[in-house]
Amino acid sequence: MSGARLARTVRHAENAGLTFVTFADAVVPAVPGSPASARLDAVTRAAFVARTTTAVGLVPEVPTTYPEPFHVATQLASLDLTASGRAGWLASVTPGDAAPAAYGRAPVADLDREARDVVQVVRDLWDSWEDDAVVRDVATGRYVDRDRIHRVDFVGASFSVVGPLITPRPPQGQPVVLARSGDVAGPGRDGERLVDVVLVGGTDVAAARAAARAVVAADPGARAVVEVQVVLDAAGRTGADRLAELDAAGPWAPGTALRHVGDPAGLLALLAELADDPAVAGVRLLAASLDTDLPVLAREVLPALRADRRTAAPRSGATLRDHLGLTRPADRFAGAARATA
Amino acid sequence: MTDPTPQTRPADETAHPITRPGAEVHLGVFFQGVNHTTIWSDPESGSQTDFASFERVARTAERGLFDAFFLGEGLRLRESRGRLHDLDVVGRPDAITQLAALAAVTERIGLVATQNTTYNDPVDLARRLASLDVLSGGRAAWNVVTTDNAWTGENFRRGGYLDHARRYDRAEQVLATARRIWDAWPDADRPDGSVARVEAHGDLLDVAIDPTTPRSPQGHPVIFQAGDSAQGRDFAARSADVIFSRHGSVLADALEFAADIRARAVAAGRPEDDVKIFPGTAIVVGDTPAEAEEKARWVARQQVTPATALHVVGTIWAEDLSGYDPDGPLPAHDPVVAELGGEGGSSTTGARTHEVAARWRALAEAEGLSIRDLVIRVSGERGFVGTPSAVADRLVRFVRTGSVDGFNISPWIIPSGLDDIVDRVVPELQERGAYRTAYTGTTLREHLGLRAPLTRRGAGAADAREAALAGV
Ligand SMILES: Cc1cc2nc3c(=O)[nH]c(=O)nc-3n(C[C@H](O)[C@H](O)[C@H](O)COP(=O)(O)O)c2cc1C
Repeated sequence: MSGARLARTVRHAENAGLTFVTFADAVVPAVPGSPASARLDAVTRAAFVARTTTAVGLVPEVPTTYPEPFHVATQLASLDLTASGRAGWLASVTPGDAAPAAYGRAPVADLDREARDVVQVVRDLWDSWEDDAVVRDVATGRYVDRDRIHRVDFVGASFSVVGPLITPRPPQGQPVVLARSGDVAGPGRDGERLVDVVLVGGTDVAAARAAARAVVAADPGARAVVEVQVVLDAAGRTGADRLAELDAAGPWAPGTALRHVGDPAGLLALLAELADDPAVAGVRLLAASLDTDLPVLAREVLPALRADRRTAAPRSGATLRDHLGLTRPADRFAGAARATA
Repeated sequence: MTDPTPQTRPADETAHPITRPGAEVHLGVFFQGVNHTTIWSDPESGSQTDFASFERVARTAERGLFDAFFLGEGLRLRESRGRLHDLDVVGRPDAITQLAALAAVTERIGLVATQNTTYNDPVDLARRLASLDVLSGGRAAWNVVTTDNAWTGENFRRGGYLDHARRYDRAEQVLATARRIWDAWPDADRPDGSVARVEAHGDLLDVAIDPTTPRSPQGHPVIFQAGDSAQGRDFAARSADVIFSRHGSVLADALEFAADIRARAVAAGRPEDDVKIFPGTAIVVGDTPAEAEEKARWVARQQVTPATALHVVGTIWAEDLSGYDPDGPLPAHDPVVAELGGEGGSSTTGARTHEVAARWRALAEAEGLSIRDLVIRVSGERGFVGTPSAVADRLVRFVRTGSVDGFNISPWIIPSGLDDIVDRVVPELQERGAYRTAYTGTTLREHLGLRAPLTRRGAGAADAREAALAGV
């Protein structure tokens, strides 16, 4: 849980050649009352490694349900600035009664609408400053051109935000938005794409490929990334033994993600099969233990994928959008008739 | 801040007795100054948003063995008369996010995030601050502010829900809840090894949570408070570790403020030195007194550009004066509006315009000042101006007379504005035995010489604990 340990783990992930790392989060613990549920805030963790890494994408999970959308937009824009364009946002949804009790609010009834509203207003806010808003015009004494900074005047089902953001437009224009399939069901206003990268599951390879194809069919500009849970033979133990031990403490990572338990060669075969489908843009590896699985991935899996040109290590100086083949979006307000701001 | 009161020159500072002969000066840096403090028009002025600028200032401060690096907060861009204010530096990162990145590239310096209690959820605040504190190895602090205007609230779910009179009630409840969240983790106090559930149901908040953040090496983030009203001072005296004040340029004023805070701390059942005082200030040094004065005049003219001068006067007149000559006289007519409202995040809320205008007119006439000269003259107190040795003498005197514990310096230029202070003033302080020559602790609490967090002072701290948990 220390900063040094976090920085080391993410550096190893970067050195292993992973494109991005995600920082899972939840404000309420998996096991209430247990110190084993210790978890630090995801954006803060991602920011801590923004300057200890140079190439890997940093993707904190931030729920759309309950946190203030204005703060979410500010924090993620700030992360993108600090990480020179390597920020993403895993936008999640928080059902249940524990989170609203923490925030002192009634449970959100329409989680879909809330998720859509929050992602929409965050995107609006990221564009509220045009890229060239800071003009530093010494002759007239103006630091910014106020015509290039816009109110958003967003009105959603449960909240409204006038804007503009307090933070200038981040390097990527819009940090990359990721979400699990179905969590943020678009489209947004005027058909806007709300999610750039959709995380899909599937009980077998065929199902995962089909899910990826469905994403791309619905929106050819979106990327589908398959989630794969990984428990490798490592540290002198089989993956199966490690999984049995994890399951003994309650089922490990339930859900519909693909899962590989076993040797690195088997994982390589699975990944190759996935990658053969052009709809699959990538995989999100959910390792049972970073300490145990990451060294094996770094040594035995990623080099083979690179040798086969199935992946490339991220380049320092490039943005997360660059690595995912997403273009930098134009500002929705650019050139718009003067807004009040 | 534009202070409508003309600045008074320091009286004879040596008349005040030295009450703390061995006391050391502590320094912090505030990035970036409010309003027009930060000069952006000079070729030396770098990016106000690039991480590199923040890193350079933080590292310079750390080289100068500063206690802390501060970030301010403003949750809505300032406006004047319904339009975005475009003359000052604007646009900044989220404080905790930025400080987390800085934590990884610094080793000792404290990292202070200004965070408002009105438009933040207590669970998010407590968790994010604790996360910064753990990741930085115990170097985090929270500068508690209460900005409550409805205009800022338009960016948030609840809108402007809080009555101004109750801003510190909410602050008290939020801080007390945060402290309980920080105390929930097992340690010597909670030997059963479980995490305590926190239920706080006040009239201004409602929290039920099983916390997830482990305790930091310094126990709790350090609590700063900035807010000058009587309620603000009482809140600090009951619940804060340090006050970030506006009283540090005129010694008599600083002493009066310190006496007031000590009395309030004692009334709240705390030792009188339990609340440290760090006024914001600026420092301008030169090789000779004349050179320093010349530089201070230059700084003031860079800060108060012709457009800024007309804007400041226009704020009091509540009209657009941009057609006026900044080198000419004040408008001949009186302000039309008698009292200014609080729109736009303005610092002049409630100003009685006719009084201010009359005072300014008298001053301008007496001293023959143009609009621009007048605005420079009334733009707050200018801090410390002189040779490094003279400035060091005064800083030490402020501390050793017991008026302050340290200073929070706003550099007037980013990112090079701290270089002179670290390279020239700090060595003078060290020569006088009034400044550390190396960090002796690793946490911010240690740098500041603070006692344990208010809720964690063992059996004798029952009163303090109660005071700190007031309201929930
Ligand atoms: C030196 C100083 C710096 C401050 N910096 C900030 C800031 O960065 N952001 C903010 O919202 N409030 C800031 N404030 C605090 C607000 O002015 C304060 O919370 C508000 O005015 C209400 O408190 P009061 O009525 O007690 O002054 C600062 C106050 C002082 C004295």
